[in-house]
Parts: sequence; structure tokens; C-alpha cells
Amino acid sequence: MHSGLVAAVVTLALLAAAAGAVTAARNRPAGGLTLGLTAVAALVTLAQSAVAGVELVQGRRPPELATFIGYLLGIIVVLPLAAGWAVAERTRWSGLVVAVGGFTVAVMTARLVMMWRGASG
Amino acid sequence: MASQTGERERPLATGPGRVLVSVYAVFALAATSRAAVQIVTDFHEAPLAYLLSAFSAVVYVIATFALAGRGSGARRLALTAVSVELVGVLAVGTASLLAPADFPRATVWSGYGSGYGFVPLVLPLLGLWWLRRRRPGVRGS
Repeated sequence: MHSGLVAAVVTLALLAAAAGAVTAARNRPAGGLTLGLTAVAALVTLAQSAVAGVELVQGRRPPELATFIGYLLGIIVVLPLAAGWAVAERTRWSGLVVAVGGFTVAVMTARLVMMWRGASG
Repeated sequence: MASQTGERERPLATGPGRVLVSVYAVFALAATSRAAVQIVTDFHEAPLAYLLSAFSAVVYVIATFALAGRGSGARRLALTAVSVELVGVLAVGTASLLAPADFPRATVWSGYGSGYGFVPLVLPLLGLWWLRRRRPGVRGS
């Protein structure tokens, strides 16, 4: 796991979640800032999974390899699905949908790092 | 399109229901991938726990799509799935505490969902509340 990418994913995902929560608190639908942060977070998440995938191909083997790969793949779809579900109904609740997605990606990244550290003992 | 009083369509997946669906989707994803990994990699280690894992995954997937769906069929299916989910998390949670030896590996419902911040315990209660609030013929949001 690339520590710079991990930090970027967690930061951007939580920023997107916070932006979504703020728009919901203001009784507004998720706007350009929230959706923009979500898009950037989704791209950096994709990069994180790609880089970790390359490291796996190069021979790194976390003990829980199958779960690790499942997380690497699953985490990619979370933010795009959340964004799609959010823009399909633009009410204040769309911000909270993004917040759920952003929080999930941050938690999943934390789990990925824990599993990865298990690899180096 | 909607018919008159009483039978008026009150979609579940609008307003706060959309947030509920997104949380259910997260658990459908989590439970499904967890069950798949467990069953594919070491099913022989704890068949009962892993079958319960798979069962919880099926319940979450059905609940997610039913809560996102429209019509009385989706509503009935959602009510069934969420009720089964509540019974499941209470039963598996209790069993995992009373007979930990039978649950050597965690499922989503072990310890009442303690591995997932107890969200699995709260989620079916929120689901039942939402289904009651959006039952046909009741005014309000």
C-alpha cells in the first residue's frame, strides 16, 4: 500500500463525506463541491487499488490475501455507486448518501492497511 | 398515476430512504464478499458460521433491492427481509456469546455486529421504523 495514496484516499473520502453532511445540514442537495470531491476521491481510490494490485503481482502476499483482493476491488465501486445514487434524487438526503460512501471508503482503506501490515509482520 | 387515498404509492427509496438503501448496500457488499471469501478459502474450518455468513449476505442483498424497489411486493419483501435480519442478528449475536466455540470465525452478526460498530443491530430497527413510517395511506414525509 502506497502511504501517500492511502493518506490521499482517506483525506479526500472524508472531505467528500463532510461536504455531503454539511449540504444535508443546510437542507441543500449535494452540489459541485461534494460531487467534485467524490469524483477525485474515486479516481485516487482506483489508483490506490491499481498500485496495490501491482505490488501483489510483484510478490507481496498479505496473510488474508482473498479478503485483501476483495477489498481492493470492492472499494473501487463504492464512490461511483454512491454518487450515482445521490444524483438520481437531488434532495438534502443526497449529501448523506455521499457521506455514507465516503465514510465506507475511509474505513475500507483502514482495513486494507491493517491487512497489508499483517504481511510484513 | 397514483390512485386515490389509502392506496397512494409511497415509494420507500425516496428522501431518508435513499440513505437507508445506501447503508444496506454497504452491508450487502461487506457480507457478500466476506461470505464468498470464507466459503471459497476455508469452508471446512467453520461450516455453520460460514453458512450463516452467506445467509446474512442473502438477507442484506434482498433487503437492499426490496427497499430500493417500488410497489406493495417490494414493500412486503422488504418487511420480511428486515424482520429476518433483526431475528438473525439477535440470534447469532446471542449464540456467538453463549457458544463462542461454535463461532470460531466472525460473521457480520457475531457479537450483535460489534465488528461493524453495532450498525447491524441498529440497521433493522431503522428499517422497520422506515417501513412503518412509509406504510401506505399515512400522510407526511
